[in-house]
Amino acid sequence: MRRTAVALTAVVLVLSTTAGCGSLQSSATEVGGERMADDRPVRDGGTLTVALNADPDKLDPSLAQTLVGRTVFAGMCEKLYDVDQKGTVVPQLATALPKTSPDGRTVTFSVRKDARFSDGTKLDAAAVVTSLLRHRDLPGSARATELAPLDSAVATGPYEVKLTLKQPYVPLTAVLADRSGMVMSPKALKTYGKNFTNHPSCVGPFRFVERVGGDRIVLVKDPKYYDAGDVHLDKVVYRPIPDGNVRLANLRSGDIQIGDQMTPVDVRSALTEPELQLFNSPSLGYQGLGLNVGNVKGLGEKPGRIDTPLARDARVRAAFELAIDRRLINKVVFQGMYEPACGPISPESTIAPGVTASQCPERDVTEAKRLLKEAGVKTPVRLELKVSTTPEHSRLGQVVQAMTNEAGFDVSLRPTEYATLLEETDSGDYDAYLSGWSGRLDPDGNTASFLKTQGAMNTYGLSDPKIDDLIDRGRTEADPAERARIYGELTRRVNDQHALIYLYRQKNYVVARKDVAGLRVYGDGLVRVKNAGYAR
Amino acid sequence: MTLTQPAESAPSAEPPKATRRPGLPAALKLRAPRNPMAAYLLRRLRQSVITLFLVSVVVFAGIRALPGDPALALAGEERSPEALAAIRAEYGLDDNIVIQYGRFIAHALTGDLGTSSRTGLPVSDAIAEALPVTLELAALSLLFAVVLGIGAGVVAAVRRGRPEEWLANAVALLGLSVPSFWLGIVLVLAFAIAFPVFAASGYVPFGTDPLDNLRRMVLPAVVLGSGLAAVVMRQTRAAMLDSLSADYIRTARAKGLSRREVIGGHALRNSLVTVVTVLGLQLGHLISGAVVTEQIFVLPGFGKLTIDAVFTRDYATLQGVVLCTSAAYILINLLVDVAYSVIDPRIRLGGAAR
Repeated sequence: MRRTAVALTAVVLVLSTTAGCGSLQSSATEVGGERMADDRPVRDGGTLTVALNADPDKLDPSLAQTLVGRTVFAGMCEKLYDVDQKGTVVPQLATALPKTSPDGRTVTFSVRKDARFSDGTKLDAAAVVTSLLRHRDLPGSARATELAPLDSAVATGPYEVKLTLKQPYVPLTAVLADRSGMVMSPKALKTYGKNFTNHPSCVGPFRFVERVGGDRIVLVKDPKYYDAGDVHLDKVVYRPIPDGNVRLANLRSGDIQIGDQMTPVDVRSALTEPELQLFNSPSLGYQGLGLNVGNVKGLGEKPGRIDTPLARDARVRAAFELAIDRRLINKVVFQGMYEPACGPISPESTIAPGVTASQCPERDVTEAKRLLKEAGVKTPVRLELKVSTTPEHSRLGQVVQAMTNEAGFDVSLRPTEYATLLEETDSGDYDAYLSGWSGRLDPDGNTASFLKTQGAMNTYGLSDPKIDDLIDRGRTEADPAERARIYGELTRRVNDQHALIYLYRQKNYVVARKDVAGLRVYGDGLVRVKNAGYAR
Repeated sequence: MTLTQPAESAPSAEPPKATRRPGLPAALKLRAPRNPMAAYLLRRLRQSVITLFLVSVVVFAGIRALPGDPALALAGEERSPEALAAIRAEYGLDDNIVIQYGRFIAHALTGDLGTSSRTGLPVSDAIAEALPVTLELAALSLLFAVVLGIGAGVVAAVRRGRPEEWLANAVALLGLSVPSFWLGIVLVLAFAIAFPVFAASGYVPFGTDPLDNLRRMVLPAVVLGSGLAAVVMRQTRAAMLDSLSADYIRTARAKGLSRREVIGGHALRNSLVTVVTVLGLQLGHLISGAVVTEQIFVLPGFGKLTIDAVFTRDYATLQGVVLCTSAAYILINLLVDVAYSVIDPRIRLGGAAR
């Protein structure tokens, strides 16, 4: 075991030196800065094929739960609000940002008068109300939690909507800039009911034509769309191609034009191809390492006591964190193409709490050893780290294993298939696991469910009254500066617990063929094809 | 790709018997119709129904024994307790497993295999869409394997000890040992990117555009068929060597038949019984899904459907797919047994061979 660890450390060191040299190489292999849009002029016509890394789930905005599904919705289901290149919320189907009453409990907005659903019916306030209430009330709705504060929604005019909230709920605008803000055709809902997923109808530049499970989703241009003049493509096809190598080969052969969610290794090889171009945007999510500090009975249950050094003593967890070098992980595992991170809230979020990558603690093995000694635990401290079965996670696991070994930890890795991993971590059957989140625009969506006592996704069994209080205050505080202060404090408080150790933030890498122009890739990671087409 | 390589030891000159499986008790046989073919088919049908029933039980219980359920796999990173409970209620996952099984069988008997918990699409549609892909891929790779494998096998046997045999053996060894993932990617790099003759991925139905269909299916068929071709080649070679040394070949030569008639009409025909057995077994594998090949060429066939269903705990889809592949297996075995009697008239069906 020990010899393996030494060998791994050697591998890490060799890799890190080569990675270091890599940054000095010619500019043709450099990723460069952020690139979220391509504004070359576009000609009309053509079909664009987008490869996704998984098959989307249900194409029903109330039930949908995958990131790839959101990308498909970006082509056919517009929302009340959207995000722009800077990560600011802007109106899409609504005409302006919502007006909130002084007590924060009444929200009003109006919607466009010129929008039609793909089935030809008109968008109006009644349709918005129908959709919002369905998102909140449909059994199995994945929107129910984020719309729980919504007490009632009424149409106060043909195009005016009034929402009443149970308590002030500042994240609402950001929530309406995601699937909760998608408006479905009431006629289609009435005709198809639960089967809406196979006949989705929204307002969008493209409308749904067909879906062959596991193979393709086909959308065609909707001539009735209010901004149809700015839509150039005839057709968009989404195809799931899970393997990165295969996606890249298909990009090179021209069978697909866009590859979504490319991994650093694939991006590296794509950079050497003259006919390909790269888009990248910072992500709203985070990736980290979750430690079980009190999850004894499963999610949503009262946290209990776990009698391991790691769960008992925050100093042991602090030592574990200090043994990890975030910068080296980024260099070695991710070719330096992601960002080190030490907080739940991305700098791209609507609220910047001011905890940036440069403030992440440096690796300090001496201090880690001292903390372990002070805690009086017997070394090596043994723990099992559950990782998913992807090559990236297994490399990350090995690097963490090697790094923490030097400070006095003995980590054994257990690669676990995805659904099994969810089951085991939810029920508290783990010591540590690699825990990530794709991210939401509002900080509340990146903190509350994970960090609040008995939160819906608090797999760590974390329970701290101060954290709970900060989450509640962040949710109701309207002043952006004060909110930023609250989330800054929340980040520090969470980091002091060392239960969820934030490690890095991914970037959204999208590779496209050079002849594709007008594409947009923003911080939410979705591929926006509305204005895309073939370059003139 | 899992290719079980059958033992290469050549069977004795006497061809294998058609009735290798144990029959039902004598009491059942008595009531069978007089026509031996009909009786045989009826007996096989009874066995098939029992097999299918057992398969359905094993699959049903097996996937439920895995940790995690459709609700969890579906909810993924966005799981909330209320949504999980609602999904479990919708698919009846909280009910007793026996009740769940009864419901599944009752629906399946009426042809309703349920809807996918992930996509909401009907399972029968998913199977109907994947089946042509898988059948075509299986047929094309079988064709490739038969043409290359039997051709090379005959050459290797007839030109024993000459360079032709070494070459054929070397190619077979390569076919067996090259991983299909690697071969697939290399073929894509060569024939879809460097010399774009074929497409790198995707499926177009033959009826829509035959040429485009073949442009997309040739490379996968070659990748999938290469391992099988090697198996077929070695089987053919061994069986041919055996036949060529048999007495009737000497007789055939002595009565002045041409070399072509001796090899093609007598030696090869007798060797084919073994080869057909191997092909039948391997075709089963091809139908149940060439997972890796389908992954490389992004073909929406059975292999991909099955794997995705396991990972997303899509119970309905997995059950439907496994039932279908089991039925296909049983059917192919039956066809193989019937094929024996066509190739070798000495084999009689029913009781005659015993």
